[in-house]
Amino acid sequence: MSDSQTIAIRTENLVHNVSTSAGDLSILKGIDMEIKEGESVAIVGASGSGKSTLLGLIAGLDVCSKGEAYIYDEALSLLDEEQRAKLRGKYVGFVFQSFHLLPSLTALENVMLPAELRGDRDAKAKAEGFLTQVGLSHRVGHYPRQLSGGEQQRVAIARAFASAPKILFADEPTGNLDAETGKVISDLIFDLNTSVGTTLVMVTHDVTLAKRCQRQLMMNAGRLSEAQ
Amino acid sequence: MKLALKILLRELRNGDILTLALAMVLSVATVTGISLFIDRLQSSFELQSATLLAADRVVRSPNELPMEWQLKAQSSGLSVANRAWFSTMVFTEAGLQLSQVSAVTEAYPLRGEYLIDKALFGVGYATPNSPAQGEVWVSSRLASLLEVDIGDDIQIGEADFSVTAYLVRDPGSSASAFAIAPRAVINWKDLDKTQVIQPGSRVRYALLMAGNSELLDDMEQWVKPKLNDNQEWRSPRAGGRGIGATIDRAESFLLLAGTLAVVMAGVAMALASNRYVKRHLAQVAVMKTLGATPKKIASILIWQLACIFVFGSLLGLMLGWSVQAFIAYSLETLLSTALPEPGLDKIWLGIITGLTSLIAFCLPLMVRLLGVSPLSVLQPMGRIEGKTALLYAFGFIGMYSLMVIYTQGFLLPSLMVLSVLLVSVLVASIGFVLFKLGRKFTAGATSGWQIGLAALHRRLQSNLFQLLVFTLIIMLVLILTGVRSNLISDWQSQLPKGAANHYLFNIQQDDVAPLQTMMSGLDIEASDWYPMVLGRVTKINQKEVNELFEDRKERPEMLSRELNLTWTDHLGVDNEIIEGVFDPMQDGFSIEFSAAQEAQITLGDEITLFIGGREYSQRVTSIRRVDWSSMRPNFYLILPQTILSDFPANYITSVYVADQNKQGFYKGMADYPTVSLLNVGDLIGQIQLIIAQVSQAIQLLLGFIVASGALVLVASIRASLDERLEEGALLRTLGASKSLIRQAMLIEFGFLGLFAGAIAALAAEACLYGLQVYLFELSASFHPMLWIIGPVLGFVIVTGIGLFAGRSVLKVAPMRMLQAL
Repeated sequence: MSDSQTIAIRTENLVHNVSTSAGDLSILKGIDMEIKEGESVAIVGASGSGKSTLLGLIAGLDVCSKGEAYIYDEALSLLDEEQRAKLRGKYVGFVFQSFHLLPSLTALENVMLPAELRGDRDAKAKAEGFLTQVGLSHRVGHYPRQLSGGEQQRVAIARAFASAPKILFADEPTGNLDAETGKVISDLIFDLNTSVGTTLVMVTHDVTLAKRCQRQLMMNAGRLSEAQ
Repeated sequence: MKLALKILLRELRNGDILTLALAMVLSVATVTGISLFIDRLQSSFELQSATLLAADRVVRSPNELPMEWQLKAQSSGLSVANRAWFSTMVFTEAGLQLSQVSAVTEAYPLRGEYLIDKALFGVGYATPNSPAQGEVWVSSRLASLLEVDIGDDIQIGEADFSVTAYLVRDPGSSASAFAIAPRAVINWKDLDKTQVIQPGSRVRYALLMAGNSELLDDMEQWVKPKLNDNQEWRSPRAGGRGIGATIDRAESFLLLAGTLAVVMAGVAMALASNRYVKRHLAQVAVMKTLGATPKKIASILIWQLACIFVFGSLLGLMLGWSVQAFIAYSLETLLSTALPEPGLDKIWLGIITGLTSLIAFCLPLMVRLLGVSPLSVLQPMGRIEGKTALLYAFGFIGMYSLMVIYTQGFLLPSLMVLSVLLVSVLVASIGFVLFKLGRKFTAGATSGWQIGLAALHRRLQSNLFQLLVFTLIIMLVLILTGVRSNLISDWQSQLPKGAANHYLFNIQQDDVAPLQTMMSGLDIEASDWYPMVLGRVTKINQKEVNELFEDRKERPEMLSRELNLTWTDHLGVDNEIIEGVFDPMQDGFSIEFSAAQEAQITLGDEITLFIGGREYSQRVTSIRRVDWSSMRPNFYLILPQTILSDFPANYITSVYVADQNKQGFYKGMADYPTVSLLNVGDLIGQIQLIIAQVSQAIQLLLGFIVASGALVLVASIRASLDERLEEGALLRTLGASKSLIRQAMLIEFGFLGLFAGAIAALAAEACLYGLQVYLFELSASFHPMLWIIGPVLGFVIVTGIGLFAGRSVLKVAPMRMLQAL
């Protein structure tokens, strides 16, 4: 773990509204939070409480309506989409509930993708290493459709770590898996997180999984609080 | 680029990219095939016309042409030849004969070849040379008249020449009956020693040029301002303006019809792109979360589109080239006539088509991917943001621009757009009612009938669209087939076996009977023999023609020259009285319909004719429609015998001479030196060739149109494939058998095809009525076969392709399908 005082993610009075036919709907109602580098944080809460919206905003996938979100002191609302994409490429990795592998690429090619998008030349070697780490060295040439759900999620984890992210965002990473596979996947995420020293921000309904994180934050009707 | 290619190649398996690429190939191939084929047709025609001129361009003059012109042409890189021709007496020991003599330089002819023979009245063989100095080639007729053989000497003016060949045809002579006219050809260098050309002699000179069109155009611009009133610049196009214009129109027509194939392919591209975009929304969002910038995504898309364009265009060009080459080859085998190689300059039309299709149908949809929010990986958006009107506008502008490029005008494209709109409204209305009725009468979901007809109603919008597409395609197929058979049958009906291929004119009254005897001896049948007297229309209803039409250029043809007038006691089969009564025993003129229309003459009008120094005024008592293509002599005006009996007449007739009779016929004609003979067989052959070629081009087009339509159906079924898979999985899970789902699909596609075929037959019947009556000027006829072919074609094509494209619904196990969804 690196300098524990470095703030990886910070928000200041983060507000997000969406327009609906019934008028503006406030999803996030002034969120202030800080996540230190190397920390693992779980965001829990009921469906529709705004967890995924918060994740999207602090990961730079969307821009807030008011307030500000920072990744390593870069104010995200001041960046355009091009700059935000570059920032994501530099700092961020993702693991999604529904894996989101590119069906036309093999497991290896999926893991190589972030590095290829950055123009790295040794993408293949790195990707093979990560696939070995997640136990899929024998499945590198397989397409997502030829892999089980757990295997697909392992590829997604390898892809996320292959870009050497400083922050890993995980959205219900075990939500689509059975309990046993879910356990294997969560072990993998935490093991890698520990060994690489990545900051982990995880959205989950799974209390057991949340408890494995150092901090648990509770989202409730657009407001965030430390979970008891 | 590497990543873009990798994704593109992997996506080929998925089908959307393949559909996109195939559509591109078809678009390019359709336009390339048509334009190259027509280009070959055009070149072939120009080459044949150039053969008639013996050059690419000719300047004709009654005086010797300035040497400066020839030097200018030579220095600019053109090939040059000279010809002079004049009438003079040709002498032998046996006698003398007035003949048409040509003197030509060694390079003559620049296009085409002389046909000569060593046997009298032989059919001839081609030679690229012209007569050497001291030699003369004489027509068989002149040789017969002068009683000379090969090796004998004849005298032209003050010079002696040795006969070395019998001349069968001179490529520069518009009348192809060279063998039977008294003519001779000598070398240009011998012209002076004949001393025939003296001041005041009636000689005509021609400077002949050949070379590439740019040089010829430059020369034309240089020469034309220098021409005096008696000099004339001639080009092959001007020589055969009618046929050239017909080919131009045929090209516009075919390309315009080809536009439908391009539009269909474009629609297939749009459908495939749309599905591609839908399927890639999540992928692009994922790539964005992984750090792909909008620029990076754009560059991946541009590379992919560029690859599709390059490969699609290349394959399209190759396919278009191959198809037209195959058709040209089969024509060559069929008609023993090779078409010239197509020009590469026509290839750009196919490339422009591919690029425009991609920009109009594909790019706007693909651009939507750039706008995908990366947030959609967490919160799926469901639909693509974008202005649909803008998409349609892009597609419309793209296609309209292509049509304008094809036809080089706005009228035809606008008419076509309006027609398609009209048909669309009609088809949508009929389809809407049919699908609603189908649903109403088959409520429930226990049989294939009910499920199939319900599906037609459920996917109303996409089915109406497919109905429109197939109605348009089948309609065009039926119309083109109808036009093709009309073209052929019309021509065949105009030219029954044994249609005349020679005209005989300048026949004296005394020669008629012996000629008839000679021809019947050879089993040659002549049409009617018409007496001809020259006369001019001077007044209409007592008003001078000069006053009625002051501008000479605007004057109707019938009033602007001397006319051949005739009388007959009965009308030929190619004449039909459409107004008044034709009575050869009564006073009154009979006028041809289109000439009367042009000169604004109606039944009962009084026409004054000036014949042999006397004026005759009579009223128009009948108006005839004449079939000018019957290859029989016909006349604008038929007069009562009482008028023409005052004048010495010569006769005209037409005959069909079979190949095996030609030598005997020409020999027989040598006994009638004053009778003029015109061989029109070559012209007929040329027109027959063009008809066969255009008909082949239509067939080529039909293939492309059906292929594009099939692609639209495949793309359109693929667009609804996810929905179909979901339905199929649900039905299978609920216990439906494979055969029930197959039956439902058969009903859905079968009815779609049947409806499309029936509506298309109706529309095609209406269009063919218009074409028959107004374009081909035939009487309208009902086409019962359309009503059978249309629905059958629709059923077979739509069902076949539909079941093929939707086969995965039947093949995949329900569990697998549910997992895939």
